[in-house]
Amino acid sequence: MIKALRTASLGDILGIGLILFVAVFSLLLLIAPSVIVILISFDTRAFVSFPPEGFTLRWYAEVFEQTELVGAMWTSLKVGLMVTFLCIVLGVPTALACVRGKFRGTTALSVFVLVPHMVPGIVLGVAVLFAGALVGVSPSIWLQAISITVFIIAVMVRTVQSRLVRLDPSLEEAATNLGATSFQSLRTITFPLLLPAILAGAVFTFVEGFDNLSVAIFTHGFRDRPLPVELLALVQYTSSPLVAAVSGVQILLAILALVAVSMSVGLDKVNE
Amino acid sequence: MTEAAFSQPASKASLSEQVLDKLLSGRGIWPAVPAIIVLSVVAVIPFVILLSLGFSDIVVSRGAIVSQTFSLSHLTNALTDPLYWTTFQRSLTLAINTTVLCLLFGYPVAYLFLIGGKWTRRLILILTIAPLLTSGIVRTYAWLVILGGRGVVNSTLMSLGLIDQPLRIMNTHWAVLIGMVQIHLPVMILPLIAVMSRHEGGLFEASANLGASRLGTLRTVILPLSAPGIGTGAALVFTLSYTTFVVPQLLGGGNYLNAATMIYEQVVFSLEWSKGSVSSLILMVTCLIVLVVIAMITNLFTRWTKGRDA
Repeated sequence: MIKALRTASLGDILGIGLILFVAVFSLLLLIAPSVIVILISFDTRAFVSFPPEGFTLRWYAEVFEQTELVGAMWTSLKVGLMVTFLCIVLGVPTALACVRGKFRGTTALSVFVLVPHMVPGIVLGVAVLFAGALVGVSPSIWLQAISITVFIIAVMVRTVQSRLVRLDPSLEEAATNLGATSFQSLRTITFPLLLPAILAGAVFTFVEGFDNLSVAIFTHGFRDRPLPVELLALVQYTSSPLVAAVSGVQILLAILALVAVSMSVGLDKVNE
Repeated sequence: MTEAAFSQPASKASLSEQVLDKLLSGRGIWPAVPAIIVLSVVAVIPFVILLSLGFSDIVVSRGAIVSQTFSLSHLTNALTDPLYWTTFQRSLTLAINTTVLCLLFGYPVAYLFLIGGKWTRRLILILTIAPLLTSGIVRTYAWLVILGGRGVVNSTLMSLGLIDQPLRIMNTHWAVLIGMVQIHLPVMILPLIAVMSRHEGGLFEASANLGASRLGTLRTVILPLSAPGIGTGAALVFTLSYTTFVVPQLLGGGNYLNAATMIYEQVVFSLEWSKGSVSSLILMVTCLIVLVVIAMITNLFTRWTKGRDA
């Protein structure tokens, strides 16, 4: 290390120094807004200002007194769970077919699953809304859930796929040689090994179901406004730290999700 | 326990298990069929319908389309309307600026990840993934707090005595750009990190041992190898920032019209569905063109660096 520094030229040190300075700045930039929002959410004043004065949990209490906000949270929770369920039920078998399938077009299948995810969410939302209008299906919590499922299922398929590819096929072969049926070896060998990947996929699809705005804003039910839609209106028309408190709740949920991911698959595996 | 499960002969399995076994042992397409049906009904058919609506005159009554006749007028109207041109131009400029700035701020983080130890790496991963798990609205709201009249930036500058009046940053295109870059930064960093962690180890030490400076190693070894990550990151950030409406809507103060906010207005407020279809189609096609260009540049760059080494 010291030897390397001694041989390095001044320009080299300055260049690398600048790069590392920008890196630290970027990392601060990633975290600072969340920290500021959390600080604001405890402010005693009824308007948003910095630095905050005093400490109160009043805004958090108020979040849960607002029936519209609580209703929106329930709606988003339901959508998130529906999306997760559908992504597991539809996505995990699809991943199996993509990796283990012996038919022509396994690659085409993986690409096909990816297509709705590549299209801008807003375009998918508009398309589903119009298609529904043509056949007489009006926006509802169901339409919202199935649309977001279609949008995000690629994440579940990809996560399970990448785990499946790295599984040792001899494990299943051993099971089959010992007399297990395909279903048995799938249930007792493959599925438990896939579980971490399914869990990680579940976290990400749930978050998308809960937080998605681009698809949801066109497909959500008139009476079941999901949290992002409700929040968008709230941010535009209110200036109290109430939104900060809602954000605080969401950031807490995000931390829980992060812990769940790191305990199930490990953070460094998320990105593969 | 598992032994018992396997020693059970297949013939004694229940009927449903036999059926399942047949479906799964064939290694056929069957497990994917439900997903294919759902994707076709909820994505493919709607896209076809969207395409057809862009080329029709439609009558909408009570949220349902009651008549549809072929017409090119909406497409030609859109292409000759200066509002469309300026709006799409604004979206395109904003998205390209966002992508470039995300790369400039994101690449150093990926470099730090590459040379960092275990804990640096873990910290970078946490700071990058955590924002992706919070909603875009929450993250945008934070910028309202930071850039607003009584926000962090203005109170700091005023208490330092640098300015007397709060600066008007909110509702300008600067606010939109700052918000866009910060919100899409993680999406740029993750693919870069993925590509960096594939090449860790001896390669860079070798370069250093052969006498290359750190900047030299970065330029001649790391940068070319990370080209695919740059391509992926740029494609993702571009798509997202080109088609988002949260940031422009909230930080642009409602008068900042980009393609996405325009589509939202057309579809939800003024109920001009043919216009909305045309705008969506233009958005999708232009987005696709830029993605192809990004892929081509990435390819050229990779080939160029390979050619240079040879």
